[in-house]
Amino acid sequence: MAKLNVNICGVNFKNPVIAASGTFGFGKEFDEIYDISCLGGISTKGLTLEPRLGNPTPRIAEAHGVILNSVGLQNPGVDVFLRDDLDFLKSKHIAIVANVAGRTLEDYEGICARLDGLVDMIELNISCPNVRCGGMAFGIRPESVKEATRVAKSALKHTPLMVKLSPNVESIPANARAAEEGGADALSLINTLNGMVIDIERRRPFFANVTAGVSGAGIRPIAVRMVWEACNAVGIPVMGMGGITCAEDALQFILAGAAAVQVGTANFSDTLAMPKIIEGLNSWLDAHGVADVNELRGALQLD
Amino acid sequence: MQVCGFMKELAVKVCTNEQIAPGIYELDLALPEEIDFRCGQFLNLSVGDGAHLLRRPFAVMSYDRVSRTVCVCYQVKGEGTRLLSRVKEGDALACVLPLGNGFRIAEEQKRVALIGGGVGVFPLLSVLQEYHESDKHFRSYMGFRSAKFVSTFGKYDHRSDAAFIMTDDGSFGEKGTAVSKFFEDFEEARPDLILSCGPTPMLRALKAGLAERKIETPCFVSLEERMGCGIGACLVCVCKKSGSEENARVCKDGPVFDINEVEI
Repeated sequence: MAKLNVNICGVNFKNPVIAASGTFGFGKEFDEIYDISCLGGISTKGLTLEPRLGNPTPRIAEAHGVILNSVGLQNPGVDVFLRDDLDFLKSKHIAIVANVAGRTLEDYEGICARLDGLVDMIELNISCPNVRCGGMAFGIRPESVKEATRVAKSALKHTPLMVKLSPNVESIPANARAAEEGGADALSLINTLNGMVIDIERRRPFFANVTAGVSGAGIRPIAVRMVWEACNAVGIPVMGMGGITCAEDALQFILAGAAAVQVGTANFSDTLAMPKIIEGLNSWLDAHGVADVNELRGALQLD
Repeated sequence: MQVCGFMKELAVKVCTNEQIAPGIYELDLALPEEIDFRCGQFLNLSVGDGAHLLRRPFAVMSYDRVSRTVCVCYQVKGEGTRLLSRVKEGDALACVLPLGNGFRIAEEQKRVALIGGGVGVFPLLSVLQEYHESDKHFRSYMGFRSAKFVSTFGKYDHRSDAAFIMTDDGSFGEKGTAVSKFFEDFEEARPDLILSCGPTPMLRALKAGLAERKIETPCFVSLEERMGCGIGACLVCVCKKSGSEENARVCKDGPVFDINEVEI
């Protein structure tokens, strides 16, 4: 039985496998299938100050090895989350990462202030590709990444701040450093890649929003490369994600330098994906005589 | 509505996968354990290939508790269902089930109208299966494109007091739509409850027809939408609630909704 728990800026995760935002709601539905207290943590559905209805349907499509989504941050608003969902998640004794989004810097500041001290970690979503005039706008240029991070950090006295980076940028190292300079305690990446599907019969984009976010197994090599670049660029811990389906996939991110991983789309292909990944990590470590998963963090050899 | 039974992730075995009408397949799956199914519920099934990451939601047409087999019918529409049409006896597939709220018939509701169109007929057959030995009386109005598509329904029409098969071209039964036949037969049927499933234009015609005639009989429809997780977590398969700034999840709050509760 290998040691699986990881500590990321003072937050203890009982293992390095965390549900990625948007694929897992607030955990209640998956908990009907298995006890989610086995997870390292959960990153909640993206929260905003006010409720959001999200984008028109269809909101999902499939291409070879990937999916595209355009949900558009539908959520009940932070206050409903605090009232209806937080106690449930606390009862599960898993690390609670609140994923937060906004349209303006004031939104980010407001929602961080609202959640400060109530959750284990904040994940700042400055990279959602599916919402116009917000999210992604902050995530593209290093200057605005730094500014959004600084504003969010200023509202947080008790809770560490993790900034979720967009892959749809010129330079991952530049944006990673910008977040670190803005005061981020940790980074997570990658959010979805910008993609598009065309309905050739209708000669129209499949999604009302025209473009959508690509995720799933097919994007994993891109995600591993970007996580590796980010880990080399900063001194703060990094959570890696993008197309993880099994323990071996997760280990690539950990060797690249990630302290933990998030699992998203795989939950759609197999509702038990995460417990299987946790079990798989344990078996792999045991089989390879590794006593502690932390020994593998950044253990990639380039020679 | 309360969900019946608990959702489970299960490996299921293909018993048969046969074409029953042009592009329409009947798939029998053996479950490894007994499941508590309600009519109108569905399952979310892998298509048996790692490159297709999404499962496909299919309404359960029938469930045999003794042999633990569940039967779904599907239409080949895209790559996923094309792949599924190639699975063979003995193949293992993964699925999560039972999902959704399902149809309910209250104790006092004795006369039930079933209005189905195309592949929307199949979930209504699960109602006939669940209630065929009850004190309920059914009148069925089922619409198909042509005679070639009628096949499965024939096996079940004896479970209705009256079964009207309608085809667009009149090649089987009567020419016309299920909805128009239902309204034509309404005085005779006087249903206590209307259950329906079919293409959106059909459901819209039903909703408009009920409003026009000021019919206040409770009417529940089963909706379809592209799904992500299938269990209510991802907010992909939403529909708008009528007269409110809220969405409902088709997979979890539905797929069965009061026709007046949602925008169709």
